[in-house]
Amino acid sequence: MLTSTTLWFVLLATSSPATSQATYMEIPGAAFRSTIRHEGNDGNRVVADFALMQRAVSNREFQAFVQQHPHWRRDRVPALFADSGYLLHWRAAGAPEPLDADRPVTRVSWFAVDAYCKAQQARLPDWAEWEYVAAADTQRHDARHDPAWRKRLFADGTARAVDAAGDSPANAYGVHGLHGASWEWVGDFSTLLGDSDKRGADDGDRLQFCGATGLSFNNRDDYAALKRVALLSAMQPRSTLGNLGFRCARSRP
Amino acid sequence: MRPALGGRVLSVVAGLLSSMSSLATANELPGDSVYQAAAALTDQNGRSLAWQDLRGRPVVVSMFYSNCHLMCPLIIGSGKALQSQLSASDRDALDLAVLSIDPARDTPAALRAVAEAHHLDPRWRLLRPLDADVRTLAAVLDIRYRAQPDGTFNHTSTLILLDRDGRILARSGVTDLQPDPEFVAEVKKYLAASP
Repeated sequence: MLTSTTLWFVLLATSSPATSQATYMEIPGAAFRSTIRHEGNDGNRVVADFALMQRAVSNREFQAFVQQHPHWRRDRVPALFADSGYLLHWRAAGAPEPLDADRPVTRVSWFAVDAYCKAQQARLPDWAEWEYVAAADTQRHDARHDPAWRKRLFADGTARAVDAAGDSPANAYGVHGLHGASWEWVGDFSTLLGDSDKRGADDGDRLQFCGATGLSFNNRDDYAALKRVALLSAMQPRSTLGNLGFRCARSRP
Repeated sequence: MRPALGGRVLSVVAGLLSSMSSLATANELPGDSVYQAAAALTDQNGRSLAWQDLRGRPVVVSMFYSNCHLMCPLIIGSGKALQSQLSASDRDALDLAVLSIDPARDTPAALRAVAEAHHLDPRWRLLRPLDADVRTLAAVLDIRYRAQPDGTFNHTSTLILLDRDGRILARSGVTDLQPDPEFVAEVKKYLAASP
């Protein structure tokens, strides 16, 4: 009986991926010192009030999006928008493994997650917004001065990450999973480019900004943030990774 | 007789079908076309158009913002210099499109003022995307930009040649008023190959 009930529940859950209303947490803005600085900006930012999804978008939620917008299916997505790894972990072009349904979706390109958030009348968070909320531990809004906390974040993006378990506690803003087993896209990831970047060495110059140039770091001890920036800055908008997911944000109306 | 006729009808039908399907293939947008992205635009004359409406003609495209005094005149200047190096018929065959990264300030009126100040001919379109589409268009074209606290932008200054279906054929960084000779050669080559 128990087994059949469980099975029924699983079937019900996977066969009707209704667009669940994602919960957005209100994030009160404030002045914030970012770990990264750009020329012409020393890292002092003012993050405006905004709202951020309480949890990363799951496979199930992304499945609902793909069903409503079939041109984002794995077998239909234009090459412009995604590389060959896009949703490759799903058992079929339109469906994730049932056991993975509630886990954060990964193997999604920037174009796909940009489209997902737009379809929810939302947008991707900017790096500064993401960093601002991710500075919090379960008690403090900014725990970055705490070496013990910083050290725990070395495992970000791995199975040993602070928030890798599905039931990990919310941070001080009520947001879950920012330091999970997967990394997360940000809307302005392409601006995180260092000025010495020479990807595609024959044509590296085209990646340089006119006038002022790239980014540097205010706090080289913030290794976890450095690692995250390095990862995001190495991505192309059509790239996908097995441990890169996303969540959406909304500006305050 | 009948089977032969049937065969002929069949082959005509098959021919029709195959020509229809090749038509459909011709109309189908290539998977790597930048027009796979959907975006709504307004030109310097206040007309609305879709990003996909640029399809059908070769276009040199770039992104800029009009309240920019260093690089943006260079982008427009090198586009004009490119035009001046083309034959009259090639000049007519090539569109130029500049997308704003600053839609809040680049109203159609502001863009029209730029077009008039630079005496741009009707081949030029200065286009204002919706705010939410700027990043998507920049990502599609691999143009990077960043808003600065003082209201200016850093951005890569690039001319990009798109074929009729929106595939990127060539790109070139803008460093002065003269376009890169290799880029000019690519433009000429494409226009010569596609009458």
